[in-house]
Amino acid sequence: MSTLAPPRGLITARPGFGSILHAEWVKLRTVRSTWWTLMALVVVGAGLTTLICALNAEWLASPEADESPGSFITFGMMLAPAAAVVLGVLTVTAEYGSGMIRSSFAAVPSRARVFTAKAVLLAAVLFVVGTATALLGYVGGNAFLEAEGIGVGLEGDVLRSMFGSGLYLAGLGVLAVAVGFLVRHTAGAVTILLTALFVLPTMVMLVPGETGQWINKLLPSNTGGSIAAPVMFNPNLLDPWVGFAVFLAEVAVVVALAGVMLRRRDA
Amino acid sequence: MIQARHLTKRYGATTAVDAVDFTVEPGRVTGFLGPNGAGKSTTMRMILGLDAPTSGSVTVNGHAYADTGAPLREIGALLDADAVHPGRTARDHLRWLAVSNRIPQRRVDEVIGLVGLEKVAGRRVGAYSLGMGQRLGIAAALLGDPGTVVLDEPVNGLDPEGIRWVRELARQLAAEGRTVFVSSHLMSEMALMADHLIVIGRGTILADTSMTDFMAHHAASHVRLRSPQSREVAALLSGRGFAVTELDDEVRVIGADAAAVGELVCSHGLLLHELTLVRSSLEDAFMTLTAEAVEYHSTEGVAA
Repeated sequence: MSTLAPPRGLITARPGFGSILHAEWVKLRTVRSTWWTLMALVVVGAGLTTLICALNAEWLASPEADESPGSFITFGMMLAPAAAVVLGVLTVTAEYGSGMIRSSFAAVPSRARVFTAKAVLLAAVLFVVGTATALLGYVGGNAFLEAEGIGVGLEGDVLRSMFGSGLYLAGLGVLAVAVGFLVRHTAGAVTILLTALFVLPTMVMLVPGETGQWINKLLPSNTGGSIAAPVMFNPNLLDPWVGFAVFLAEVAVVVALAGVMLRRRDA
Repeated sequence: MIQARHLTKRYGATTAVDAVDFTVEPGRVTGFLGPNGAGKSTTMRMILGLDAPTSGSVTVNGHAYADTGAPLREIGALLDADAVHPGRTARDHLRWLAVSNRIPQRRVDEVIGLVGLEKVAGRRVGAYSLGMGQRLGIAAALLGDPGTVVLDEPVNGLDPEGIRWVRELARQLAAEGRTVFVSSHLMSEMALMADHLIVIGRGTILADTSMTDFMAHHAASHVRLRSPQSREVAALLSGRGFAVTELDDEVRVIGADAAAVGELVCSHGLLLHELTLVRSSLEDAFMTLTAEAVEYHSTEGVAA
């Protein structure tokens, strides 16, 4: 048995936030689920957009088309949120599921810093991957639109929807991390988020009158999603940037709640 | 050094740890012994700041765990062998731990070598046996070369060679002047590993003593006598102030010297068929001590 070589107790300075962020990055890239989820995001986000544009280009170019080609150029990105929330949830709940969260908090006793590092990392990764995926879908889909002479320029609302997709997914990543810390269980957290993003919007349609309209306006899929859409389908929704500000406020509420619970509960 | 002061943890109506006071000193192996559910793991989680005490406090080197600069350099812990993501390799697990506390990456390979996982360090932890998982947990505990090492049930799942290795490692760490705190529910294991013993049962400290003192006090021996004149023998011995118990076919003299008992009986011309010094094992001593404090008793006589 060899002895323990290095001298003890020489460096006790608190590691900076950069070290914690770096550690979270090592964690994120060393499990396969990260790569599977991101691959799903790209394949669905860019692939579906390209496919839909390819199938509809001819019709969109014809006189009977009653929709603008712009609304097809981010089609696949409507499903990308599912992959984003799964990734965000897993970075937290996989740790609770395996008991690794205790290793994490033993290594970094400040839970707020662990939470922040995970949230910042998810936001950064999802912004980059989200924007790149939207652009990839644009390039693929627009090739078919251009072939029919109805290509859309990468400018104005279309350009905004590209990095808007990145921003929306980044916000969802932070939301998913927070829900992960609240629920601590993969299936539970994913179910809650997918219900909120994909099921609630259709159910809210059954709520009549102005109440229904307001609830619809405030659903995170609409407040946050508008910024990722080049063309507004629904005139009753908030403007993209106003909506995004409301979305960030909604995320902040959940983050604050998760932060309080994280401080109170035993790991 | 670890110090607990009136450390208490309640879960609803259940008190897992009840106002315990103890100090774990450097330079020796302190065994933390108790039956399952006695509060060992809860105490260890509170040391690491994972569970918050209901009241009281526990400090490492005089401060709360959370106030440690780079905790892995000050206190290394094995809490659960499975506190690792099953999809990550052992090397990657140690790598992120090292990064989080600014421990040089070369140290990762050092501890992998130290625990003997070189050949499997690139494999996903999910495929590890219980023993390999324990070794990885110990590697993680030693990663920051900490002055304090806390090991919760480190020999669980290890083969005899591994158990001996942990024992020697704990002793070596203590010999290097570190504070070593090792929990176990096995008295026999503690007897071989620990210099000092803290016994816990139902959340309270039942004994806090050196191993030598514990053996002397709790592993009480008795002299067993068999005689056709057992009544006379018992009367004689109790008359001389010995602690005597009469059973069906034997007389027990507790805490006595066998030779003295034999000579006394002989000098009074009484017959003896048997004179035996019966040493109670440490396991028995531990059972006796914690008998009241065990949470789950098995019903005797169901299985022979």
